[in-house]
Amino acid sequence: MKHHIDGPMMTAFLDGALSPSDRDRCDGHLVSCAACRRELDALRHLKLVVSTAPRKTMPADLVLALERRLVSPMPRWRIPAPRLWIPLGATAAAALSIGLWLQGLRASEEIPLEPLLTAHARYSAEGLIPQENLVASTYSDQLTSLDAESSDVELQ
Amino acid sequence: MMGKMDAQTFAGLIARTGDKAYNFAYRLAGNEPDARDLVQEAFAKALEHAASYDSTRPFDSWLLRILNNVFLDSMRRHSHTRTVSLDAPAPVEDSSWGELLPSGDLSASDELLKAESLDLLQKALSRLPVTYRSAIALCDIEGLSYEDIALVMEIPVGTVRSRIHQGRVLLRKAYEELEMTGGRTS
Repeated sequence: MKHHIDGPMMTAFLDGALSPSDRDRCDGHLVSCAACRRELDALRHLKLVVSTAPRKTMPADLVLALERRLVSPMPRWRIPAPRLWIPLGATAAAALSIGLWLQGLRASEEIPLEPLLTAHARYSAEGLIPQENLVASTYSDQLTSLDAESSDVELQ
Repeated sequence: MMGKMDAQTFAGLIARTGDKAYNFAYRLAGNEPDARDLVQEAFAKALEHAASYDSTRPFDSWLLRILNNVFLDSMRRHSHTRTVSLDAPAPVEDSSWGELLPSGDLSASDELLKAESLDLLQKALSRLPVTYRSAIALCDIEGLSYEDIALVMEIPVGTVRSRIHQGRVLLRKAYEELEMTGGRTS
């Protein structure tokens, strides 16, 4: 090789990217050419500085941001927390039972049956309820018996 | 519509490529906020176009190619950025290292080696036209072969060689200019 090694070839020589034949030719030229050796040294220094710069690592908060953006949420059926939801379920069921029981108490206190039956018997006796609207049932039988009793009392 | 992956796949992906992608993004962008944006965008695009990934080729190279393209797109969109534009004049193809480096002048290289401030180097890198910056970062920082760089940059291997050479020439010039101005960007 008579001429100096051109830049791109020198670069490829430094990076080990030349074919064996081109590398041999460069090696041969470098033995006798001080200018090309200086160029090669300068390139080598520059490459060394750039390649030994400290590497950056991905920040943890960036990983979290990526995770939020790219990872699909875990399906509900895969939530493995029986120790959490079983007590919660039991507590909810107990609260519901207590609530219904209290509601029942309150209902029986607020709507006593006896005055209703009495009123109905009175309206029935006075003919305010048409006979066809009276349902033949145990309930209506009870009303009939109540009417009979009240008639007996009046008779006595 | 972008798909999503499960947590285990994500963890494996980050462990394998996270730091490499972020380091490359940082060297391209020259600052942390832009590097973060680049990485987020690149991973999102990789997931979006996962079907087009050729599994016979290295995944890292594919991801870096996406990242490089995202960076080029962002540079085109934000032409007001401090970095040199894509259309910046490039040195002639046959320019010799010797034309830019005075023969016998190794003192500048020695000083470069001794330089305490890596910040200056990053600033010099950020001054390069983006195509040369990518080539230098992939070769000297990420340690990719010319063949892999050709895959990432989607250019022939011969062009990779000339871009790395020109990139090094420009990097040295930028560094020397910064040294003369005390690290101030012009």
